[in-house]
Amino acid sequence: MGECVLVVDDDREIVKAISILLEGEGYEVLKAYDGLQALDILASRQVRLVLMDVMMPRLDGLSAVMRIREKQNIPIIVLSAKSEDTDKVLGLSMGADDYVAKPYNPQELAARVKSHLRRYTCLGDINAGSRADEIKNGRLVYRTQERVLYADGEPVKLTATETRIVDLFMRNPGRIFPAEEIYRRVWEEEAFSSENTVMVHIRRIREKLELNPKEPEYIKVVWGIGYKMEKQEKHS
Amino acid sequence: MDTKWKNRKNTVSFLIFFLGISLMAAGLGGIWRDKPSDRKLQELPLIVEENYQHSSRFREYISGVLETFLAIEAGRDSRWTYGLGWNYDVYYEADMEVTEAVEGVLMQQYQNDWDMGEPEHRIPEEEREKYIQKYYDAIKGNKNLLYAVYADGEQKHANFDFASCGILSGEGNFLAKGSVTPPDGYGFLLYFDGEKVRIFQDGVEQNVYGDGYYQMEDQWYLPGYSNFPAGDEVKKIRVCMAAAREPMMYMEQYQQVSDDLYWMANSWKQRQDRLKRDIVCLGMGAVLFFLSFLTRRGRREAEVAIARFQGRMWLEFKLLLLFALPLLLLGRHAGSGYGYELWQETEQMIAYGEEYGYTLNKLSYYLGEFVRSFPVVYWSLLFLGIYLVWNDLRYNKRIWRQSLTGKILRKFSARQMGWPPARRMARRTRAVFGLSVFYGLFMISARVLNPGGKQYIWVTAVLLFLGTVFFLAVEYLVGVKNMETAREMEELSRRISDIRRGDYGSGGGTDSGTEEGCETDFGSEGADLSGFGTGDLDSVLGQLEDIRHGMKSAVDEQMRSERMKVELIANVSHDIKTPLTSIISYVQFLKQEENLPDHVTDYVKILDEKSQRLKNMVQDVFAVSKAASGELPMHMEELDFGRLLQQTLADMEEQIGKSQVRFRMEIPDGPILIMADGQRMYRVFQNLFQNALQYSLSGSRVYVSLKAEGNQAAASVKNTSSQELKKGMDFAERFARGDQSRTDGGSGLGLSIAQSFTEACGGEFRWETNADLFVVTVTFPVRRPGGPEEGQA
Repeated sequence: MGECVLVVDDDREIVKAISILLEGEGYEVLKAYDGLQALDILASRQVRLVLMDVMMPRLDGLSAVMRIREKQNIPIIVLSAKSEDTDKVLGLSMGADDYVAKPYNPQELAARVKSHLRRYTCLGDINAGSRADEIKNGRLVYRTQERVLYADGEPVKLTATETRIVDLFMRNPGRIFPAEEIYRRVWEEEAFSSENTVMVHIRRIREKLELNPKEPEYIKVVWGIGYKMEKQEKHS
Repeated sequence: MDTKWKNRKNTVSFLIFFLGISLMAAGLGGIWRDKPSDRKLQELPLIVEENYQHSSRFREYISGVLETFLAIEAGRDSRWTYGLGWNYDVYYEADMEVTEAVEGVLMQQYQNDWDMGEPEHRIPEEEREKYIQKYYDAIKGNKNLLYAVYADGEQKHANFDFASCGILSGEGNFLAKGSVTPPDGYGFLLYFDGEKVRIFQDGVEQNVYGDGYYQMEDQWYLPGYSNFPAGDEVKKIRVCMAAAREPMMYMEQYQQVSDDLYWMANSWKQRQDRLKRDIVCLGMGAVLFFLSFLTRRGRREAEVAIARFQGRMWLEFKLLLLFALPLLLLGRHAGSGYGYELWQETEQMIAYGEEYGYTLNKLSYYLGEFVRSFPVVYWSLLFLGIYLVWNDLRYNKRIWRQSLTGKILRKFSARQMGWPPARRMARRTRAVFGLSVFYGLFMISARVLNPGGKQYIWVTAVLLFLGTVFFLAVEYLVGVKNMETAREMEELSRRISDIRRGDYGSGGGTDSGTEEGCETDFGSEGADLSGFGTGDLDSVLGQLEDIRHGMKSAVDEQMRSERMKVELIANVSHDIKTPLTSIISYVQFLKQEENLPDHVTDYVKILDEKSQRLKNMVQDVFAVSKAASGELPMHMEELDFGRLLQQTLADMEEQIGKSQVRFRMEIPDGPILIMADGQRMYRVFQNLFQNALQYSLSGSRVYVSLKAEGNQAAASVKNTSSQELKKGMDFAERFARGDQSRTDGGSGLGLSIAQSFTEACGGEFRWETNADLFVVTVTFPVRRPGGPEEGQA
């Protein structure tokens, strides 16, 4: 069996669905139906990652997260039917590492679990001795010397143009680039109907490095202005 | 019964007080007037008892007669010219004769028109004798005064034989020693012995000369004082006189003889009667006044009742009574000089005619006579007048409130209170204009038609002055009222603009989130309003206040219900999401299942689609309800409208490429900056483009254009509908779809979300249909780069 993942939700069907999903990916899944149960299991078992619902009887998810954080540093992904930005901010500030809104996309959920586990288990050492030519942003690492982008420690296969766009974004996280500027600096030509071309490439990059390309976390459109690489404050 | 008795008691006690004061005043006034001026007040009982022979008038008369006798016998004009006999009461013909005679005898030296500078000339001896004869003839028949004049021991003139009753000797020497009895019925006896005078009253000799020197205070002004000797001419003359105790009227040939004493006694008696009456009045008044102290409680109640009655009286009427009545009573006889003229002028002014004025004169004359004859009434009226004024001032706090002018004014304004303010103000303006016209005409007429020439100038001046004062006063009052209205107008407009701004609370009021706060708020506002008093715009302000209050509660109510709706939708969507999560998860597993029969794969596919659509719907419903209630968090920033459209199209390029619809864009170069939330606006255009893709006729074109006109930037999306567009259908209505029967596709919230988000960003969302052409226009105010903000959401 692989790493041990704890799924906590008062809806047994959802717990079952997630466990089927994750067991299919090769993880060992422990199940809990409220916060206190989750804490009990965490006390007795070696758990690598927790998937936590918010609204639960006896002990709610956010309180449980805070209790876990007192002892352990394992990744915690909060699952919630509340999809508001404020709810997300609240969950993350309580100590969760990620926030996935219900109804979730099963593939995305699996990808996130995988991503968090990989970084927690494999990349711990690599992150410790960070190299001078490395630019880190969340789960992305860009090595300027090699011009290679790593997502969760794994190299992402990019075309030459895509690599140049990623190069531009990774060197300037948070800065907004209008389509024309991207076009000039990547293609080194005068911009003409650049929006579509740039957008096509960005969409392709997203598919390669975002967990859910429809709701991108890293390369974002700033509507009416341009594009930017979102700087991730977490997981530094 | 009880109250009736009480009322009667009050009335009686007031009458006691009133009569007491009046009688006392009348008594004192009468005494003050009727008392002989040479007598002291403490001698009053004596005066009442004594007969006329004790009066100063009698003494003057006697000394005048004695002088006349002496002057005649001395054969020359009056040496002393003391009494001169001018104190006679000239009532009748006989008196006139006496006077003429005395003048003839005594006044020769003044015959030439009182010319003191003329040399003396004596009237001839025979003429003098005639005068003397005439004089004695005139007084001879008057038995009230008995006399005998002796010269050189020989009786010259007499109407009574004093010797017969043993008073005088034949030669005219005084016989009596000690007490002397005058003839019966004659209480007064005078004897002049050539040097001094001896006087007996009621048989008792009087001390005539006092200390021997004449002074002003001395009762008798007769020769014989050390500083007023009789003189040598009269040394041989003896005079004896007696006066009747109660004189009678003596007639001679149907003609009254000169009998001054009779009339003197008569008037003395009258005076005594009056004095007696005065004293009685005073006594009764004092008693009543004392009694009024015992009943003062009842009197006070009566006073209050009177004051209440007075309070209902018009001030003008009271003033008229106060000033006109005394003028009427006394004006004619108040004296001469200015007052008299004033009365005359006023009279003529009022009367506009001699006849009426004459009547008024007569009336006032008789009233004056009446007052004179009945002093009690006069003093009562005077006291009543003063008392009533005092009482009115004491109990009625604001006497000017109850005036005809005030009543008319109040009635005028009370009638206006029911009118709309505009009409009231118009009325006021008209009144002022009318008054101005009247005033102008009045001024002109006063100048041109000066009625009576010079003598009326001051009347005209007073009228002009009063007219001007009145005019200015009215102008001032109206001006004040208008200022008040202007202030209220300002307040009104301030409140209207407050309400328009959405500030439904009272100006600077407390936070009125709760119903309770609302209530107290309104209460304080009401109290505030009452402070306006009788302002023109009170009712309007009140109505506005009602509107404000109603609007406030309506808005609060709406906000609350919107919040509740959003909460409800949030809860419902949360409750839907949980089972939906399971559905989606298990559908996913089913999809991954292999070796399923084909028809089952179809079923799973349908399940997958529908569950995805349900997911979208739940999210959309939540979003649209939040946007509609204004709870959507907004991140407003400056962005390029054209770029936004291009990015959105680029984002959807895949979808567009798959569809049968082509997009035509008309977006100008260069930035068109607007202020909006980019994420939301992306959703807006995403929805619009999706809508166009979904409902456009296959093979048709969608036109996306952006135009900047003036301050407005308008983006429009035009597409040709594949279905016939129903007229009058609201496509932006939630869950509205072009074809009601269609079940595939979006949530039916696309346009609704687009509209909500646009409006939340401060833009304008319009749609229209033209045949099968469906046009949506999104308009935003343009921001100049670096310029000031224009139109902020």
